Amino acid sequence: MTAYLLRRTGQAVVVVIGVMVLTFALIHFEPGSAARATLGTRATAERIAVFNAANGLNRPLPAQFVTFVKQALQGDFGTSYSLHQPVSALIAQRLPRDALLLGLSILLALAVAVPMGVYQAVRRDSAADHVLTVVAFTLYSMPDFFFGLLLVALFSVQLHILPSQAPQAVSVGGILADPRGLVLPVVTLTLVSLAGFSRYVRSSAISTLAQDYVLVARAKGLAESQVLRRHVLRNSLLPVVTILGLTAPAIVTGAVIAESVFNYPGMGLLFYQAATSKDYPVLLASTLVVGVATVVGSLLADVAYGILDPRIRYDRD
Amino acid sequence: MPLLDVRHLTTRITTGRGTVRAVEDVSFTLEAGETLGLVGESGCGKSMTGLSLMGLLPPGGGIAPGSSVRLDGRELVGLPARELRRVRGNDIAMVFQDPMTSLDPTKTIGRQIAEPVLLHQRCSRAAARERAVEALGLVGLPQPRRRLDDYPHQLSGGQRQRALIAMALANEPRVLIADEPTTALDVTVQAQILALLASVRARLGMAMILITHDMGVTAGNIDRVYVMYAGRIAESAGTDRFFHDMRHPYSQRLLASVPRLDQDPLGELPTIPGLPPDLLDPPAGCRFAERCPYATQRCRTEEPVLRGEHGHKFACWHPVRGPVPVAAPRRAPADATAPGPGTATTGDEMSATLPAKRAVSARGPGQPARAGGPLPATTTAVERDEPAPAAGVPLLEARDLVREYPVRGARLPGRARRVVHAVSGVSFSLAQGETFGLVGESGCGKSTLGRLLVGLDRPDAGTVALDGTDLGSLRGRALRRRRRDLHMVFQDPFSSLDPRMRVGAILREPLQIHSVGTAGEQRARAAELMAEVGLPERGLDLFPHEFSGGQRQRIGLARALALTPRVIVADEPVSALDVSVRAQVLNLMKRLQAAHGLSYVVISHDLAVVRHLADRIGVMYLGRLVETGSAEDVCERPAHPYTAGLLAAVPVPDPAAERAKRGHAPSGEPPDPVAPPSGCRFRTRCPLAQARCADEEPAPRAFGPGHAAACHFPLRAPLPEQPDAAGVVPQVPTK
Ligand SMILES: Nc1ncnc2c1ncn2[C@@H]1O[C@H](COP(=O)(O)OP(=O)(O)OP(=O)(O)O)[C@@H](O)[C@H]1O
Ligand code: SF4
Ligand code: SF4
Ligand SMILES: [Mg+2]
Repeated sequence: MTAYLLRRTGQAVVVVIGVMVLTFALIHFEPGSAARATLGTRATAERIAVFNAANGLNRPLPAQFVTFVKQALQGDFGTSYSLHQPVSALIAQRLPRDALLLGLSILLALAVAVPMGVYQAVRRDSAADHVLTVVAFTLYSMPDFFFGLLLVALFSVQLHILPSQAPQAVSVGGILADPRGLVLPVVTLTLVSLAGFSRYVRSSAISTLAQDYVLVARAKGLAESQVLRRHVLRNSLLPVVTILGLTAPAIVTGAVIAESVFNYPGMGLLFYQAATSKDYPVLLASTLVVGVATVVGSLLADVAYGILDPRIRYDRD
Repeated sequence: MPLLDVRHLTTRITTGRGTVRAVEDVSFTLEAGETLGLVGESGCGKSMTGLSLMGLLPPGGGIAPGSSVRLDGRELVGLPARELRRVRGNDIAMVFQDPMTSLDPTKTIGRQIAEPVLLHQRCSRAAARERAVEALGLVGLPQPRRRLDDYPHQLSGGQRQRALIAMALANEPRVLIADEPTTALDVTVQAQILALLASVRARLGMAMILITHDMGVTAGNIDRVYVMYAGRIAESAGTDRFFHDMRHPYSQRLLASVPRLDQDPLGELPTIPGLPPDLLDPPAGCRFAERCPYATQRCRTEEPVLRGEHGHKFACWHPVRGPVPVAAPRRAPADATAPGPGTATTGDEMSATLPAKRAVSARGPGQPARAGGPLPATTTAVERDEPAPAAGVPLLEARDLVREYPVRGARLPGRARRVVHAVSGVSFSLAQGETFGLVGESGCGKSTLGRLLVGLDRPDAGTVALDGTDLGSLRGRALRRRRRDLHMVFQDPFSSLDPRMRVGAILREPLQIHSVGTAGEQRARAAELMAEVGLPERGLDLFPHEFSGGQRQRIGLARALALTPRVIVADEPVSALDVSVRAQVLNLMKRLQAAHGLSYVVISHDLAVVRHLADRIGVMYLGRLVETGSAEDVCERPAHPYTAGLLAAVPVPDPAAERAKRGHAPSGEPPDPVAPPSGCRFRTRCPLAQARCADEEPAPRAFGPGHAAACHFPLRAPLPEQPDAAGVVPQVPTK
């Protein structure tokens, strides 16, 4: 397991470096300069030169990259061109809100998808299975924003039960103080990932149920519910865990959309605004944060896999 | 009152395509301490009978009214689920075929063995754990207490099967159903597991139902035989009576179609043509009629009833008398295999339509492979506009082949690179028209060696030479040209054919790769090939999944023949096939060899199959060739203790021979090929090992013409030392 973890961590570090190089290159090769975006299109050449000099934009790209990495390692991502605040402060403020939104919806999605998938596998090809399959595919094929808007239309505009806007409080504590506003964004994201998860769980549980050891468990005299709990569940979750790690980017995309629909100031909105205003420091930092989060997500999935699967835990190499 | 009394057991399974009549009117009784065998080909309802007794039918399955299963007088059919669960794993337990997939990979074996104890016995966890230790001890797993916390993947196949048996025995059941418990295991481990089952049965006074397709296992391990065919009992008798006086044609043919060690390999195996009927819609009358050589009009209309006396019953209108006589081994004249009384023709239906002799061959006249030793190497070279190799040069020669695979996974710093010693210095040669058989336990490097021979893998050292030309020295066109002479046929007829290609395309592919002929000629060749392996031409437009396993293996052979190769390396060509289909494919292989003067390297874990096909045999152990010689020398006069052990482990379908068996199968399992033992690699399992075996690697020594073995203390006296034998197994001409 140690060797396995070392190997995975090593790979994760390499991926993060790759993400940094790639985003840095992409942003700096893009036409249109930060100066123009910040100072307006009618800025004079001198003012642009001054801006570039002040922000180090006139130096060669490799040098700029080295500086960026050095500062990033100290938690210094520079100052936002447009918001005139330290980037690290912006991220520190918004990241926890996303963690809350995504964490809640993933947990909720799993809590529903696992029993649903196993149930469908056990009752394979029954009417209930078919209905749930149709529901899952409908959810799966609906665009995220459409979903959000639909829920807003129903629960806020029609029924006036829930606010259409997410809580605007700055701190996580503040948000939790008024959880009603969180309901619609969380439900939207949950439904979006629920569909995929339940499909994975279903197909994985179907193949587990066909395994010889399930028959052996029944031959021991275990009741069906015991067979499911003790021998089917864990083995069915193994492949799902890996997939969970791989879907992290899709979940982040979903978050960006949910944030704009519900006006929830998280990383997604920050990133979106930075991209339109060519706010390089914010763009770089938020790309990096999302990249790292994705890598950490799949690393966590690998660790979970290792814990669930003794074949990896006891890998003696 | 019998312990288990099964009457008129009938099981149906409703599927999307209709109702499968899996078990039909099966009755038997079983006493404590007795072993009953359910014998037959795959799909004949053996497992379904076992599962019906356990009440463990698949979805859609049900036991028909009128069926009765009484355990000690208590009716189990119709028992509420709760009550039935109390019987399962407690009074009746079951062991399944594949130990690799029968254990939950995420739980320790201790927990899995304790599970049924906790469930049925209302005891503490600690007590259940103690019981697990006892059960593991009972099944002969060394250091059971330390093994408790192991996960399944940390055990070998044989150890896992022991753990599964321990699990079944944990509650001391009164009936144990063992469903093909050794089919997935090596022959050596099979012998160990069968001995174990016999000893625990005796010790616990259990009754046992042993399900098997293997007539050898039947002869040595069963008291009463029940032959099943298409869901019905075809014949039942005490084992001795059965083997000496079988009355049902199916029993007779089933026994006759098994290649066996104590039988002369000359000639063709009698086969059972065709396949068992589809149980969705079984034929009226006798279910065997379609394949039975004695079938009459009555058989096709009137269902034969199971009748007889003295505990010997059979369901047949025209019973036979006893088995097909077995040709005595050794020097029997070829015509000794001619059908005796009660014997039918030996041809099988598909190849009976074949043109008698190589009508489609692109090559010069072939000769029967066994016309007294190797053929002159020039017979086939003519049409290939290649220089005839010098006389005495073997067709294919492997010299000192070495292949080592790095161990997968991360290499921790400071540790030496670790390798699997898959093939370690193997040399042998193959003459034109000859068959060389390679046997050994799983993981001994047989398949790796096969891949090296055909160039699918490159050796780390050593050479493979065809007609004296080192294949490793060839490049580009010359190499491709040579490659055409070497082809491989794989074990699994399901995965070795591309499922998305039509058979016609599969057969044309090698021709296209080597740009042989025009498109029209390629199509014609594909049609020829189909005829040659006994398949209908319309099969060219079908996909592989539309064929049965045996037919797919025929397609595999046809593909291998497409480029008229001279050597075919067949890796476990019949292991995945059922007994009767296996005989058909073996006959086909012999026929093709005779027609084309082909040379075969046949790789198999099954000594009887190798004995049947091969002129010469090489025995592999842990990457080394420990003995080579003529099939007869190796099987009748083995010099190496490992060869003798392998031979002793092979079950012979003759109860008297089984009882009279002298030698012992090797104990234990092969060690890790990453760290093979010093000196003689077999020494950790060898009954004759001495100190010298650990220090000094035995060099091959000659024991007769073409017969060599590498052992310090061989079972027979070697020939006087020859000065030039160093390092290489001597290749003295055969016979
Ligand atoms: N591609 C590979 N990479 C790593 N190890 C391999 C590879 N192929 C084979 N081995 C290892 O080499 C050894 C010999 O394997 P091989 O498959 O040749 O044996 P075998 O006798 O044919 O076994 P079986 O009867 O089970 O097919 C085994 O320990 C196997 O795990
Ligand atoms: S009843 Fe007829 S068809 Fe059936 S086995 Fe006997 S002879 Fe053959
Ligand atoms: S060399 Fe020794 S250990 Fe090896 S087979 Fe011969 S007697 Fe046994
Ligand atoms: Mg193999």
